[in-house]
Amino acid sequence: MQFDPCMKHKLIRNSARNFAETELAPIAAEIDQQRIFPRNVIAKMRELNYFGLQVPQEYGGAALDSISSAIVVEEISRVCAAVGLCVTVHNGVAVYPVLRFANTSQKEKYLPQLAAGKVIGAFSLTEANAGSDAGSVETTAVKNGTNYILNGTKIFVTNGGVCDVALIFALTSSPVNKLQSSVFIVESKFPGFLRGELEDLCGMRANPVSSLFFEDCPVPEENLLGQLGDGMKIGLATLDNGRIGVAAQALGIAQGAMEAAVKYAKERQQFKKPIASQQTIQNYIADMATQIMAARLLLYRACDIKDAGAPFGCEASMAKLYCSSVASKVTGLALQIHGGYGYSKEYDVERYFRDARVTEIYEGTSEIQRMVIARAILSQPMM
Amino acid sequence: MLNIVVCIKQVPMVNELPWDEKTGTLRRDLATGMMNPACKRAVEAALQIKDKQNASITVITMGPPVAEEVLREALAMGADRGVLICDRMLKGSDTYATSFVLAEVIKKESPDCDLILCGAYTSDSETAQVGPQLAEELSVPAAAYVENLDISGRTLRVRRLVDHFRETLEMECPALVTISMERYEPRYASFAGLNRAFVERDIAVLNADALGITAASLEARGSRTKVRRVFIRKAQKGNVMITGAAANAVGEFLDKYQRKISAVIGKSIESKNQT
Amino acid sequence: MKERQKSIWVFGDYRNYYQNRVTLQLISKAVDLARVIAAEVCAVVVGHDIEEWIMEYTAHGADRILAIDHPSLTSYSTEHYLVLMERLAGERNPDIILIGATDFGREFAPRLAKRLKTGLSADCVGLDITSEGLLVQIAPSFGGNMLAEIVTDKHRPQMATVRPGTFKEIPHNYERTAIVERLPLPANLPVSRVRVVEYERAAQKGHTIENATVIVCGGRGMGNKKNFKKLDELARLLGGDVGATRPVVYAGWAEHDALVGQAGKHIKPKILFSFGISGAIQHTAGLGEANFIVAINKNPQATMMKMADVAIAADASDLLNNLIKELKKRIRD
Repeated sequence: MQFDPCMKHKLIRNSARNFAETELAPIAAEIDQQRIFPRNVIAKMRELNYFGLQVPQEYGGAALDSISSAIVVEEISRVCAAVGLCVTVHNGVAVYPVLRFANTSQKEKYLPQLAAGKVIGAFSLTEANAGSDAGSVETTAVKNGTNYILNGTKIFVTNGGVCDVALIFALTSSPVNKLQSSVFIVESKFPGFLRGELEDLCGMRANPVSSLFFEDCPVPEENLLGQLGDGMKIGLATLDNGRIGVAAQALGIAQGAMEAAVKYAKERQQFKKPIASQQTIQNYIADMATQIMAARLLLYRACDIKDAGAPFGCEASMAKLYCSSVASKVTGLALQIHGGYGYSKEYDVERYFRDARVTEIYEGTSEIQRMVIARAILSQPMM
Repeated sequence: MLNIVVCIKQVPMVNELPWDEKTGTLRRDLATGMMNPACKRAVEAALQIKDKQNASITVITMGPPVAEEVLREALAMGADRGVLICDRMLKGSDTYATSFVLAEVIKKESPDCDLILCGAYTSDSETAQVGPQLAEELSVPAAAYVENLDISGRTLRVRRLVDHFRETLEMECPALVTISMERYEPRYASFAGLNRAFVERDIAVLNADALGITAASLEARGSRTKVRRVFIRKAQKGNVMITGAAANAVGEFLDKYQRKISAVIGKSIESKNQT
Repeated sequence: MKERQKSIWVFGDYRNYYQNRVTLQLISKAVDLARVIAAEVCAVVVGHDIEEWIMEYTAHGADRILAIDHPSLTSYSTEHYLVLMERLAGERNPDIILIGATDFGREFAPRLAKRLKTGLSADCVGLDITSEGLLVQIAPSFGGNMLAEIVTDKHRPQMATVRPGTFKEIPHNYERTAIVERLPLPANLPVSRVRVVEYERAAQKGHTIENATVIVCGGRGMGNKKNFKKLDELARLLGGDVGATRPVVYAGWAEHDALVGQAGKHIKPKILFSFGISGAIQHTAGLGEANFIVAINKNPQATMMKMADVAIAADASDLLNNLIKELKKRIRD
């Protein structure tokens, strides 16, 4: 069991951190306030393989292991969670299902562009009536000649405002199976693909989250991912993977918040001494550091299992559940440590507090994660 | 093909290191390392040459085993080969010794190199001596603090601004140039590059023995200076401390020193509340 | 047997005269050191049309001038100067050679030290000498506020480079005389391997940080680039310039030509404001000639605070904003 980072992971972390500090730190507050998607920084990230982290070299990716990939997401999120979200959603739930389930011609068509970031990806399952209850999806894909005609509305689509390719989860019921669902690779340039207004959210505000409307949108049959009826299978596998990415994101947010709190506690003087010398503050710092350490080990463990090729769904859920809960707790404590200044937009901590909150909701709420974990435990044979 | 050698150094990532009272040395092991910024620019300068013509870049560093990190980073940026010189005997070398060792490595590993690049100075010792002294060891023409370099055939042309003099110099390869911080903004390494740097590229690790350096030869060709003692500099000025809320502190400061400040800036800064 | 006359040499770096007068400062220090060991101070001047410098160095304290005047030495040529100094030093065995840490000196000195097979410490902030003639070179040690005493115990000459502004020059006295040896250019001088294609004095901005009477210097304690940029406003109000520490330049908050410190511009302001700077030696070593220092830092124990005439314990950015606001109210011509 190797607990210390190897040299490669250390250099990857330094590289991502350096990029984040140089390119994102100066603009993170502003793009959050103004809801600006930082296109020029995204452009710089393309050449550095941020959009093809785990894509094989032959398709133009960096072929990184899962821990390296998690480290990259963590470091970007430590500075700017909204851009971290863009990267993790693109890699984790748009590129990943293509890597795992696409046929050769689909891979050859879409992977190089996705890996190069020329095309930004999104994955969309959620609808107004189908959040945790993924089975209640109402978007339909009906076969007509060589196309599937897509009709429906997807909401809260991360990267929705800028995605060029979206993986859409739709009902393709057959006489035999009324609730059969499938996944389609849908390009934004297909007719009938419409984007809604950008959502005005509490956090992750620089990420262009929007609804996607499909009005008789024709999707070529060769864009069906996997087999007809594979919807659940692909959906669940993709969410397993996506959870690792979101856990990494939450961890990065927590790390950034804790560092800010520690720095503030050392500098802020009250009663003629730094508040870091007060026992209560020290207790907070101890709790934050311990929780983050535990979260990190849980996350990397899930990454290891995934890379070993074993089923990693339960561990991924544990990581997502725990990392997101730690992010909420740590950012709350960090804001408290900053006192009144923590409540002001002049300091970054309130943005971390707002950004952290959604990590307990998207990619499967914490309630759903508990369901997944409990099912896994309960289904284990008794010793 | 142009054969380029870049000498790089791993320096601590912090501005202040804790001091070990017992041994009288700095606790460098406590700080995370990074590639010295000027050395990174030297790597970038080499890469920009390689962008335009057929070239091979070898990066060399002398340091403890962890210095391998900066070699890997240079490989990730686009260098071709890395060499680490690592030996306890070389610990604490001054620039005189370091330049001697680096010269031995270059003579052994890249004897027919055309161009040697170094960072102009390091962020930790800032002596800017290794580059010039290495040029002497190798007996090659050299220029320090170069902002811009061009190679045409075997002729190297460099531009620099030194002591308010703008100089353009030419010399024939093999030559040595130290790169200043003015230009050559270093490129980011891609993740594919970082991965490849660990998967595909090997780094040669040499000790003193492999270079034919013995304790005797190091004594003869090595460090000339010795640190006699280290001490904390004493505070110099008897100082006046102003505390309190910022607005009040500003008022107190300006009232107390208004005459001095006014005299220097040529304008009155008397408070409108004062008579 | 007559004892060999001890000598302390100072290399005449005259092209930097108008900026820094470092040669004059070193001659002055050499005079101090020479007194302890009964040595003569010898200035070495190499170039073309150098009478002016021979007079200056004599007037500022040199006992002897070694001068080589030749048209082929009109523009600085490191290689030529190396050959000439190596020969001169080889013939006359000075005990100490001092060279100004100008850009030229910082390249020339280490190469000369290698040729003379001796030790060199760079950017010394102080020099002392023992009665036995051992030069104690005081230079910054990495680690902020530590200084190191360095000696070259076994080799001669002992060499050091010194930053402009570290020592004070003796006022000139044109009544002074010195022994001037006008030496010929050696016949077998090798051709320099470095060819000068262009060589001209760079156009200088009229108002540079080096001539600024007020400097507003910022460090990492400013927090971020936006806060740092506000220093421009204070500088403008006071008719001064903005300076930066090395970490700030590396972070991209300021250009490299704003760097103040050992490796940066040599400044001599009448008033220096130091915002959010801890006081690492690499920075403070460059502040030698600042007349009146005002330091602002959250941490009242920071080194910079102890080095200041006035120390204000406050958040740098916060205080800056207040200071700008208050000055705007107060300033009138």
